[in-house]
Amino acid sequence: MLYIHKTYCISPQQNPLQDDMDLINEPANKKLLAIEPSYDQIPPGILRRMGKAIRMGVGTALPLIDQANPVYGIIIGSANAGLDECVKFLMQIVDYEEGQLTPGNFVQSTGNVIAGQLGLISKNKGYNITHIHQGLAFENALIDAVMQLNANPSKSYLLGGVDEISPYHYNIETLNGAYKKEDISNKELYKSESAGCLPGEGAAMFVVNANAGSAIAAVKAIHTLHTDNVDLVKLQLQLFLKKNAATQIDLLISGENGDNRTLPFYTNAESLLPDDASIVRFKHLCGEFATASAIGLWYACEIMQTQKVPALMFKKKSSKTIYRNILLYNNFKGYQHSFILISSDK
Amino acid sequence: MSRIFITGIGVISAIGNSVAENHQALKDGICGVKKELNLFPSKYAGLLPFGQVPISSETLKQQLQITEKGVTRTSLLAVHALNQALQNSGLSTADIIAPETALIGANTVGGMCLTDELYADANTKESGSEYTSSYDCASVNLFLQKHYKMNGIINTINTACSSSANAIMYGAMLMQNGFAKRAIVGGTDSLAKFTINGFNALHILSPDNCTPFDEGRQGLNLGEGAAFLVLEREEDINGKKVYAELTGYCNTNDAYHPSSLSDEGDGPFLSMQGALKLANLNVDKIDFINAHGTATENNDRVESMAMIRLFDKPPAFASTKGNIGHTLGAAGAIEAVYSILSLLYQEVYANLHFKNPIAATGLSPVQSYKKMPVNHVMSNSFGFGGNCSSLIFSKI
Repeated sequence: MLYIHKTYCISPQQNPLQDDMDLINEPANKKLLAIEPSYDQIPPGILRRMGKAIRMGVGTALPLIDQANPVYGIIIGSANAGLDECVKFLMQIVDYEEGQLTPGNFVQSTGNVIAGQLGLISKNKGYNITHIHQGLAFENALIDAVMQLNANPSKSYLLGGVDEISPYHYNIETLNGAYKKEDISNKELYKSESAGCLPGEGAAMFVVNANAGSAIAAVKAIHTLHTDNVDLVKLQLQLFLKKNAATQIDLLISGENGDNRTLPFYTNAESLLPDDASIVRFKHLCGEFATASAIGLWYACEIMQTQKVPALMFKKKSSKTIYRNILLYNNFKGYQHSFILISSDK
Repeated sequence: MSRIFITGIGVISAIGNSVAENHQALKDGICGVKKELNLFPSKYAGLLPFGQVPISSETLKQQLQITEKGVTRTSLLAVHALNQALQNSGLSTADIIAPETALIGANTVGGMCLTDELYADANTKESGSEYTSSYDCASVNLFLQKHYKMNGIINTINTACSSSANAIMYGAMLMQNGFAKRAIVGGTDSLAKFTINGFNALHILSPDNCTPFDEGRQGLNLGEGAAFLVLEREEDINGKKVYAELTGYCNTNDAYHPSSLSDEGDGPFLSMQGALKLANLNVDKIDFINAHGTATENNDRVESMAMIRLFDKPPAFASTKGNIGHTLGAAGAIEAVYSILSLLYQEVYANLHFKNPIAATGLSPVQSYKKMPVNHVMSNSFGFGGNCSSLIFSKI
């Protein structure tokens, strides 16, 4: 469907990832916060006005789309980009009783702000879109990229996913019961048997095109669905595997997030794998957020490229040491599910 | 590639609750934008004109028989329009719930129409309101997905004021790429203290009724509403009624400024040009342009210049923002329905409140309702973040 050629990621962990669980970054105040670089490519005057999601999104993309490597269009998935600015502006409205307000936060509050800023900074006048469909925002961006490449097979596109934990979003999601009540280390995440996940954030960007030569990996298939029915998801995944790669999956990248409410979906997915497939997890590294599957895809690319899996990611390590076909299964809140098949086959 | 036909339309706006009511109001040149706002307390109520849908959220809930908690006005307007579009297209329940049926919706305020509730929920650590899962834009389409029990690809798009034009595009592309057989596409937005104060802080709200393409224009009026379209492939039509064909679409970025268009208008120029190219039409084939025409100083000047640059002598054009205000995430879909009405009835509608052409362009929009041959209509939507989209609808 499409080929991934370049990747970049900002997450709560250092890249490349260490093998040793003792060296990973832990949550601060129950949140796994992204480690930000110095963002040298963003003009300081613009950087100062950017919220964290915008900085992370723009800062992850710019190293991939410098002037020597322009892309034909920009396709971003972000559930909550601009939300922090949005609530800041809303605070102004209420606190100043609709008085004279400054528009800065308002302009940066629109969901399309990252793709817009990227278009502006990289002078890209091509296709420019933002998918915001919560836990499938990145997946819809990926489907969009596949379709853009079908229409323009000689071009490259920037594809990415990004979200932040803003204070207000954290508050509202806490009210919704999304997060673990108890203090927990990410090193112990999968031992937890309680409801709730560990909130995280990050950005992953990819340059994709239809050119197999020198590609890091191919995305062979994607399927999304909305349901809370555990059996239906299993059935759909079974059909997906049958249609695409029944016995060849070498590795499952599981979106398991330590939330006992979503665990059955993931154990079901594991039960459909061939016996010699390995299983790895990544939410103890980046935490849970709506576009975390973009980080999952980034890990898939790292594994494909290096043919190595950091030891601290394994849930089950098989004797296989060659990773040619990777299944990424993720769900958001046990309702929005995606299956993505990543392959080294050209 | 499959030809994409529109087989169902539904709309609600300040000038009507149905396609028929909107059609009559457009013919009659009705302005639904008034200095009335009673959806929520605001210091601008009675001071600034708004294109408010004159039905309370409670009444909408009752009419639509929606009893779940946490359903916002943005979602209610969407359900109202979507029900019409589905009924209109005659899609069966089996069609609606089929995995081959996609739902692509756009909106920009989501549950933020509840500005004060969101303020409270964002700042409390105790118990939240019934709306804590309803503030983000995706919550609208997650609600619609559950309400109609849909199983295909579901998506929410936000490209600011061009959002629902892109929802229409995305739905069409899903069908042409084999990800869906049919798509229900559109947009919704409700008036919100949030957007009123935002546009006011940018000093682009007009103190009086907006005057698109007029030399003396003073800014835009905000409105609300929703529209949905049912898209089906030519091969699946089986003799059912077809309203129009979606023949062209293009999305570009102006890459100039976060909240205004460049003098050159590259974004608008390229989106119009790209849509023509996809439709395989020469400029002289476009009979009418449903312009974005927000009546801001910047948009109308730049859009006019881009039309001149592309068409030399632009065809008949008009903006319906004077009728219903700027409905943001719903605008592209509502105006798609209006464009389809022009094709269906071979007529164009007046651009309200216009007096004098912009000096730099000399262009005058259509100023009164008239019958004329309309084979191809271009509909423009431009938004913050430089997002520009153009669609072309053609007569069947």
